[in-house]
Amino acid sequence: MNPLDQLIEALRILPGIGPKSAQRMAYHLLQRDRAGAARLGQSLGVALERLQHCARCNTFTEAEICERCASPQRDASLLCVVEMPADLAVMEQTHSYRGMYYVLMGRISPLDGVGPRELNLEKLIARAADGVVAEVILATNFTNEGEATAHYVGEVLRTRGVKVSRIARGVPVGGELEHTDIGTLAQAMVERRSL
Amino acid sequence: MNTRQRFDDQPGFVLHTYPWRETSLIVETFTRDHGRLPLMAKGARRPGSAVRGVLMAFQPLAVSWSGKSELKTLTGAYWQGGQALLGGIGLLCGYYLNELLLRLLPREDAHPILFDRYAQTIRALAEGRQTAPLLRSFELALLQELGYGLTLDVVAGSGEIVQEGGNYYFIVERGVLEADGEMGDSATPGSALTGRALLAMAHDDFSDADTLAQAKGLMRRLLQHYLGGQQLESRRILIELQEL
Ligand SMILES: [Zn+2]
Repeated sequence: MNPLDQLIEALRILPGIGPKSAQRMAYHLLQRDRAGAARLGQSLGVALERLQHCARCNTFTEAEICERCASPQRDASLLCVVEMPADLAVMEQTHSYRGMYYVLMGRISPLDGVGPRELNLEKLIARAADGVVAEVILATNFTNEGEATAHYVGEVLRTRGVKVSRIARGVPVGGELEHTDIGTLAQAMVERRSL
Repeated sequence: MNTRQRFDDQPGFVLHTYPWRETSLIVETFTRDHGRLPLMAKGARRPGSAVRGVLMAFQPLAVSWSGKSELKTLTGAYWQGGQALLGGIGLLCGYYLNELLLRLLPREDAHPILFDRYAQTIRALAEGRQTAPLLRSFELALLQELGYGLTLDVVAGSGEIVQEGGNYYFIVERGVLEADGEMGDSATPGSALTGRALLAMAHDDFSDADTLAQAKGLMRRLLQHYLGGQQLESRRILIELQEL
């Protein structure tokens, strides 16, 4: 295989990239932005060499324990479980949570063959049972897969004596009922709370 | 067959979705009048997509599509509502039902009776009803709908009616046989069935614990046979979750 075909083939490992897109990306890198391409190649090599999963929160970090997990400013008694690093980032933007995180790097999805083994749930269970964590907050998505994940993680931690909570869902802040999607509204009715 | 066909607001469920290209989804649907139907949902993974939150498994939908190729294009999906979301063990059972349908139902083969049974079973799971009788009843309905000719209240060959107090066993692809008949010794171990349990199953009555236990063994054997020995991922994952 010549270097061009090799590059196209390599780009195809990215999710959602078919042969045509891969070809377009390869030509762009080689013809329009050679400096950018060099940077991409270099940073990929460096990232692969230096990054690993944080021993505590499971996100990528250079050290064994990431900066956030090592920070004494954060409340180590709270552990928020999210699916992906992007979920952690958006949670941080709320500036309303000062606890720790655990990033699953996925969710339970039986029909995609992703179960507790593929997600390495044992690592989370061990993390939550460190004796310092007093409450685990499940902030997985409100999809079927996110719900299945929250349910099972919740059950397992509860049987180990850890207090578990699930983030609430409902009509968005500033949202009007008339413009709220039907599914959210239906579930908000099911999960209504007494005043 | 070259005309472009359109179907609007057909009752259906999403069985599973797969990401496709950068922003699209392949949606495996189970529709009442067109059976299992894979549809391409263009742009469904864009943040502002109108169908993004609607294309969720276990929710009754009204689905529209058009196209003449094998992979038709989804043109709309609306939430029919009236049902709570699945949760906990019911959710895992839902995945199991979907996996059975994905593996066993041929494409574009209408099964309206099975569709109604599926909708009814999902509703019962959402209501938090006991799962085992629901699963056995659905498995039996599925095998019968697929035309595997499961006759549980008549002895194969002789045509005699199964007796309440009799003892039987079941041979796959053959049917119910009397335990004291000439083939009694070669029956698969664990395949013993009481007449009482067989008659209850034939009447779709899984309320008795003994019937339930016998039905579980029988259905496991039948499904294994018709799945060609393939393992069900949803079953493996459910077992792994229970071991945590
Ligand atoms: Zn960390």
